[in-house]
Amino acid sequence: MEKKLTELIDKALTRRSFMARSGAAAAVAVVAGCGGSSTPAPTPTPTPTPTPAPVTLGDSDYLNFALNLEYLEAEFYLRAATGSGLSATDTGNATTTVVVPSTTMVPNLTTAQQNYIYEIAQNELDHVRFLRSALGSSAVSRPNIDLMNSFNAAASAAGIGSAFNPFASYEAFLVGAFVFEDVGVTAYHGAAGLLSNTMTGKTYLAAAASILAVEAYHAAEIRTLLIADSVATATMTATLVTPNPTYVTYAQQISKLRGTLGGGNETTLTALPPYAIPFVPTAYMPASTIVAADTTNSIAFSRTTDQVLHIVYAAAPGAGVKGGGFFPNGMTGNISVTAS
Amino acid sequence: MATFETQQLDEVIVNSRRKMLALGGAALAGLAFAGVKLAEAQAAPAYSDSDILNFALNLEYLESQFYTLATTGKTIDQVGIGIGAGTSATGGGSVVTKPGGPTSCLVPWTLPAIQAYATETAQEERNHVTFLRGALTSAAVAQPNLDLFNSFNTLASAAGIASTFDPFANDLDFLIGAYIFEDVGVTAYSGAAPLITTPAYLAAAAGILGVEAYHAGLVRTSIFIADPDGKAGLQGYTQDISATRMKLDGSSTTDDIGVGFQTVSVEPTGTTNGAATIVDAQTGSTNYSKTYSRSTTQVLKIVTGSTNIPASGAKYTGVFFPNGLNGLFS
Repeated sequence: MEKKLTELIDKALTRRSFMARSGAAAAVAVVAGCGGSSTPAPTPTPTPTPTPAPVTLGDSDYLNFALNLEYLEAEFYLRAATGSGLSATDTGNATTTVVVPSTTMVPNLTTAQQNYIYEIAQNELDHVRFLRSALGSSAVSRPNIDLMNSFNAAASAAGIGSAFNPFASYEAFLVGAFVFEDVGVTAYHGAAGLLSNTMTGKTYLAAAASILAVEAYHAAEIRTLLIADSVATATMTATLVTPNPTYVTYAQQISKLRGTLGGGNETTLTALPPYAIPFVPTAYMPASTIVAADTTNSIAFSRTTDQVLHIVYAAAPGAGVKGGGFFPNGMTGNISVTAS
Repeated sequence: MATFETQQLDEVIVNSRRKMLALGGAALAGLAFAGVKLAEAQAAPAYSDSDILNFALNLEYLESQFYTLATTGKTIDQVGIGIGAGTSATGGGSVVTKPGGPTSCLVPWTLPAIQAYATETAQEERNHVTFLRGALTSAAVAQPNLDLFNSFNTLASAAGIASTFDPFANDLDFLIGAYIFEDVGVTAYSGAAPLITTPAYLAAAAGILGVEAYHAGLVRTSIFIADPDGKAGLQGYTQDISATRMKLDGSSTTDDIGVGFQTVSVEPTGTTNGAATIVDAQTGSTNYSKTYSRSTTQVLKIVTGSTNIPASGAKYTGVFFPNGLNGLFS
């Protein structure tokens, strides 16, 4: 009995479709497939119709969307940590490439800095493996990824400079990581609400909530480390400490760019204001902005799949964008083309 | 009686979901089916979304009082946050503070960054109280009696840290105090989210879960920065606290790890490397770096320091909630 159900769910999860759609129109996700047949689903064949029927996105589509983001993060952190990316097995034996600078292992790290990077690399690798395992034969393979031209273009668009190599130094790595983590939180938050109300959907919801939380741990970690670094490299006089604003400012510029591409949903990271020596706490009561959340109710932001696509494709609002930015040829799976 | 049954069902749901997550793939689908049968066999849930939100509200009262006292020397009602039942601003329970009263809880900050983090967190936790009370309106429970003095002494003693512990004494002790709360908030929201049926509330719970995880990441990163090699003892305190939380919640598997070190084995060579444990989640199979969930009962056991199941109709009481929580999940 369980075997039959497993087959049915697998069948439902492996259904393919030909046009990607995303956003609110697909808000109701349905895993159909509770029919009586236990025969394998036939391989779908494209139908040459000028107006293809809308695709009904299911739970596996949202998990595959997340898997694309995890491929991206894992490739970034693994390369920063070790200089090498995902093994063939973990990419689904993809024949795709990852464009990176000639050297990616971040140089001159302290032990503590290495400890941070290795942990996040392992976490993101785990998420790739978990999602691939949960999706089984439905898992999409790794798409083409660009971690070099993408960052240069983003730096240019954000006003940071004409080129930016996130693997060049510890601080550059923090800025590169900043690009991804808050987006991960908003993407999982948005996807959580799209999962179906079936038992499978609820199971995936629990997993998505747990991964959402890990992305938020990471996001807070990166933001906290940026602030800590700005204090550690502060300018000091006999009476005043002024935190170094350089990399926090980069993060602000990235935040602004993400907000433009991805429908707002940003809390700008702010450097600590200068403080006096000796320190007088009652005269110094700023609030930091580590958490990215709505300022009124302090609920973390959420993004639609479409808003996330616009950010990772580095594409201005508009329908029909099929790739660009970190995914030069687009994501793999049914959510890969911008809808608006 | 109904409450106890609810707790049992709650634990079954969380535990079976753990198994599903651990197995993944096809086995997952099979267990999902088992879950359907379980749900069908049980009567309709004896709780509503309001009960779950009220459970969360109890925890937010506790967190917001802690952070607000640390950063302002005032309780949340002294800064204009309602604590009474329903929409009433007054009529809530009291807070046991240090003997010097609320003003004595203002931390004598020496690290500007930690002060700024605490000030931010205090505002966000107050916002959560206001949001939940706004969502619940007349159904909101009042703030229960809270204890932010004896509680820390009791927990520190149970964790083997010291016979007394004052989280308001200085920046670093404050971080340890904050550590006690934040990961619990993550697991509580993670456990409660799938129980919520109203989509808007689910989205809100997921969003608050995200913020609690930001806070946890903030606190744990700050502790690691302050004690990067473990020699200052802060890492050890967090490990003691995590071990105590695990003992209290009765989980048979690891569901809490302190700030410290782990060995990871990332690609491509399979060699091992030292890594931090900023994220409260085990890496590798079978957990795959996912945070944990706790049932409402497990959370109750932690925040009341009680492992004994109370008599039918009685509440879990002790530690932070000397007279128990308000609402169904208590």
